[in-house]
Amino acid sequence: MSGTPTAEVYRIDWLPGTDVLHGVCHCGAERTAEDPVELWQWMLAHPTGHHPGGHHPTGHLPAGHHPTDPPEHQPNGHRKEPR
Amino acid sequence: MTGVTTLARMTAFAKNQWYVAAYGREIGRELLGRTILNEPIAFYRTESDDKVIALADRCVHRRYPLTAGRLDGDTVVCGYHGFTYDTGGTCVFVPGQKRVPRTARVRSYPVVERDSLVWVWIGDPALADPGAVPRAPWLADPRWTTVGGMEPIDADYGLLVDNLLDLSHETYLHGGYIGTPEVAETPITTEVDEGAGVVRVSRHMDDAECPPFYARSTGIEGRITRWQDIEYHAPCLYLLHSRIAPVGVLPEPDGSDPNAFHVEITYAITPSTDRHVYDFWAVSRDFAQDDEEVSTFLHDLNRTVVLQDVAALNVLQKALDTEREGYQELSINIDTGGLAARRILARLATEGEKTAPVVASP
Repeated sequence: MSGTPTAEVYRIDWLPGTDVLHGVCHCGAERTAEDPVELWQWMLAHPTGHHPGGHHPTGHLPAGHHPTDPPEHQPNGHRKEPR
Repeated sequence: MTGVTTLARMTAFAKNQWYVAAYGREIGRELLGRTILNEPIAFYRTESDDKVIALADRCVHRRYPLTAGRLDGDTVVCGYHGFTYDTGGTCVFVPGQKRVPRTARVRSYPVVERDSLVWVWIGDPALADPGAVPRAPWLADPRWTTVGGMEPIDADYGLLVDNLLDLSHETYLHGGYIGTPEVAETPITTEVDEGAGVVRVSRHMDDAECPPFYARSTGIEGRITRWQDIEYHAPCLYLLHSRIAPVGVLPEPDGSDPNAFHVEITYAITPSTDRHVYDFWAVSRDFAQDDEEVSTFLHDLNRTVVLQDVAALNVLQKALDTEREGYQELSINIDTGGLAARRILARLATEGEKTAPVVASP
């Protein structure tokens, strides 16, 4: 299958210097986790539990706190449009 | 426990998809047999217009493999009793009688030959869209030089998808060939285009050791900037865009990249049976295009690397076959891309089941 690019793009960045994964849904919702299985489950549950602007459950890093997060990994800079 | 998942015993096949059956150069005026998604298929080229034909590799009469027969012009003659089929699979001759039974036909498969690869559609022929075949244009572009081959693996094709989506294994399984410590140490970025069915995994190493694969082919001495950008077009085509340059050398502001070496590593992952997968591999480069020594080196070294994967996956499959149904495994950050690929494959398999027609045996 090689469909044309769509707007339904999910992204997970492994934040450099940490064990933290940062996920961004195509709807703009964000979440961090240290378990890719858990993060994909949350991501693909869209729209359940997705709150654009950031929803971080207890125990996860608060919004804006991304250790050693380089400029290109800032959530605001993430593409939500197709390539 | 985090990261734990319970697994089924095999990765489901995704029907209604294009699969690489062969390199174009493999198919000629001899019948070639390949089994794809458990369907035995006979391939050949027509004498009249050099077109690739794909027919079910079982004679309608007594199921004798057509690949054990012969070509007669554009037709295939069964080697057992002479049943003869045209390019559409219709039987045009049976021995000893004038009337050919109306139901005497074998299935024919839609085929596309593109970028030096022969793609076959497995599923409902009415849904086959040649425009949906993913591209690997460098394979047939004279500005690139390509070496390649195919190695079969006695394993569930999902194991090969897992292997290729997580390149951190290069450090351990392919150390001294293509792996260096930095591959496993460098974080990845994973992106899934759900609608397109594409998984992208990127690993950009700013300052890395240069493995022999690149040191000897490019002539670079010292450390390198190494970028690995994977693009997996589920279920079959895997592209690894590899960029190698001396440390600190980046693309120009206008996007051109004259001071780097580019290697396109193409894999086609074609499920054959439940425990057998065709691992097509090709290495294309945009430098030293006419240097035969570089071609031989890259071919031999990459084949060695592929055979390391073959040996590892054969061992892994044997181990998994001893596991109980519903065994568990543990995933960590390096598996983010592989997990995404598995899920897309599961979705494609489900969608393929919904639309796959019931084909009655003739």
